[in-house]
Amino acid sequence: MMMRRAALVLMTLWIVAAGAAEPVNAGEGAVVAQATKKPKPRPAAPQPPPLQPTAQERVEADVSTRTIAITSGYSGAEILVFGAIENSRQPSAESGFYDVAVVIEGAPEPLMVRKKGRVAGLWVNTSTFNFNAVPSYYAVASTRPLEEFADAALLEENALGLEAVRMSAAADSAVRVSSEDLVAFKDAVRRLKQSADLFKRADYGVIFTGRSLFRATISLPATVPVGPLTARVFLFHEGQLLSKYQARVVLEREGIERWLYAFAFERPFLYGIVAVLLALITGLAASAVFRRRGT
Amino acid sequence: MNIYLPIAEMSESVLVLLGMGAAVGFLSGLFGVGGGFLITPLLIFTGVPAPVAVGTSTAQLVASSISGALAQYNRNNVDIKLGSVLLGGGLVGTLIGVEIVRILRQAGQFDVFLALCYVLFLGVIGTLMFIESVQTVWKSRLGAAPLSRRPGAHNWVHGLPLKMRFHRSKLYISAIPPLLIGAFVGFLAAIMGVGGGFVMVPALIYLLRVPTNVVVGTSLFQTVFVAAAATILHAGTISSVDLVLAAILMVGGVIGAQFGASAGSQLKGEQLRLLLAGIVLLVCLRLGWDLVVTPAELYSLARAAGAS
Repeated sequence: MMMRRAALVLMTLWIVAAGAAEPVNAGEGAVVAQATKKPKPRPAAPQPPPLQPTAQERVEADVSTRTIAITSGYSGAEILVFGAIENSRQPSAESGFYDVAVVIEGAPEPLMVRKKGRVAGLWVNTSTFNFNAVPSYYAVASTRPLEEFADAALLEENALGLEAVRMSAAADSAVRVSSEDLVAFKDAVRRLKQSADLFKRADYGVIFTGRSLFRATISLPATVPVGPLTARVFLFHEGQLLSKYQARVVLEREGIERWLYAFAFERPFLYGIVAVLLALITGLAASAVFRRRGT
Repeated sequence: MNIYLPIAEMSESVLVLLGMGAAVGFLSGLFGVGGGFLITPLLIFTGVPAPVAVGTSTAQLVASSISGALAQYNRNNVDIKLGSVLLGGGLVGTLIGVEIVRILRQAGQFDVFLALCYVLFLGVIGTLMFIESVQTVWKSRLGAAPLSRRPGAHNWVHGLPLKMRFHRSKLYISAIPPLLIGAFVGFLAAIMGVGGGFVMVPALIYLLRVPTNVVVGTSLFQTVFVAAAATILHAGTISSVDLVLAAILMVGGVIGAQFGASAGSQLKGEQLRLLLAGIVLLVCLRLGWDLVVTPAELYSLARAAGAS
C-alpha cells in the first residue's frame, strides 16, 4: 500500500515537472531539450555533423518507476513512459510530424493453450498446444494506429503490435497441428490475453507534450506475472523507423508477499505445517473467545 | 480494499473474501457441516485456480473442525481407537488423492474432474437429503414417529476378518471397513477440499452401526487430522495453499459459524436439512451447468506446468 502510494506520488511529481517544463519548451524548444536532458554525447561522435537541420533524430526514453513492488495492497500499477527526440524537426506538439510507439513487454514464458471439445455431452479439454515462449504481458501504445504509419513487414520485424507479438510454438506441438489450427491457437492466445488485460493496444496512447517530449501511460493489471519487463520505444517518420530505445522495469514481490511466496516454493512442507498450525490456532482461539462470551 | 493473494496470484476484495468465509461459516454453524463443499466451488467461481481452491480449503477445514472436535472430545464423544483406524486409512487416501490432483493438473483435466466430482457428490447427497427431509416433514405432519436404528442387527460388514474391539463404540468388527471408509474420505478431502462428514457420518451409522453419540465426534477427530495431512501434502507437493486467502477465510468462517450455531438452535432439524439440501442442489446445478452448456470461449490458457 505504502509502496504504491509512493510510486503514485513519484509519478505525479514527474508529471508536474513535465508540465512545468512544457510552456518554456513551446517557446524555446531547442534550449529546453538541451537543458532537461543529460549533456549530449553528440560533439564527441565524429561522423555526424553537429546541429545541422538534417541531423539524425534519436529517441531517448525512461520509465517513471524502475521497480514496481507487489505488496499485499497491490492491485495493479501504472507505468509512465516518457522520452524526448534529439534533433527534433517537429514544428509543434500537434504537428504529427513524428510517430512514436511504446511497447512494454513481460518476459517470455512457456504457455499452454487448451481447447475444449464435447465428450459424452460434457465440455472437457480435448486438445492442447504448447508455446515455448509467449510474453507474459504485452502493451503497445502509439501516437496513432500502428498500421497507419508503418507497414506490416516493419512491424513484424520489430515485434511491434499485437499481431506481431513473438509466439514460438513448441516443436512437439507444432508438428501435430495444421497451419490453420496454429493460427487459431495464436488467435486464442491474443484474445484470451486481451480479455485478461494482459495484451493491449492504445492507438492514441502516446502524446507529444512539446516539440520533442512525449509520454505514454500504461497500466499493469494485478495479474501480470512477476518478473522483468522491457520498455521499448520506436520513433517513426513517414513510414521509416528512425530510432529505437530500450529500458527495463522490474516487477517484484515485496514484504510479506515475497516472503510467503518464497516460503511456499522453497520450503513447501514447512509451509504446509505452518498453514496447519495457523489453522489450529485460529480455530482454537475463536472457540475460546466465543465460549467465554457465551457464558 | 483489495488484497493480493500470493499463491493464487490475483487481487481480490478483502470484504468479498471475508463475507464468503462468514457466509460459509454461518451455514456450517447452522447445519453442523464442514462447509468445505461450499467454499471450494465459491472460490472457483471467484476465479481462484481449482488446485489452489482445494488446497486452501483444506487449511480452512482444519480451523473449522478443530474446535468442534475438541468440544466433542471433552464430552467423551470420540472413539479414539476407531478414529485412529479411520485416520490410518484416511492418510493413505489423502496421499493417493494429492497424487491424482498433481497428475490431473499436469494433464490439464483437473478443473473438469473437480467439477464432475462436485456435481456427482452434491447431486447424490442433495437429492438424498431432500427426499429424506421431505419424508420426515411429511411424517411429522401425519404424527408418525421417525424411524429408529436397530442396534442389534448384523450385516455383511460383520463377517469380515481382522476383527478389533472398539470399546467406546461397543463394537467388535473387522478393521477393514473403517480403513476403507477412512481412505475414501481422505481421498475426497485431498481432491475436493471437503471434510467428508457427509460420507463418514452415514457410513459409520449405517455400515458400522456406531452409536450416534460418538459418530460426530469421531468423524470430526478424523477430519482434523486428515485435513491437516491434506494441507501439508498440498503445500508440499504442488504449492497450492494460499496462506493469505486461508487466513481471511478462517477469520470470516469462525465468526460466521458462531452466528450460524445460534441461528440453528431456533430452527427445526427437518427444515434445516431441507434448506441445506436446497443449497447443495443449487451449487450442484451451477457447476453442472458450466459442464454441459456450450462455453462462450472454447480455449483457455495455463502456465505450462508440464513443460518444466
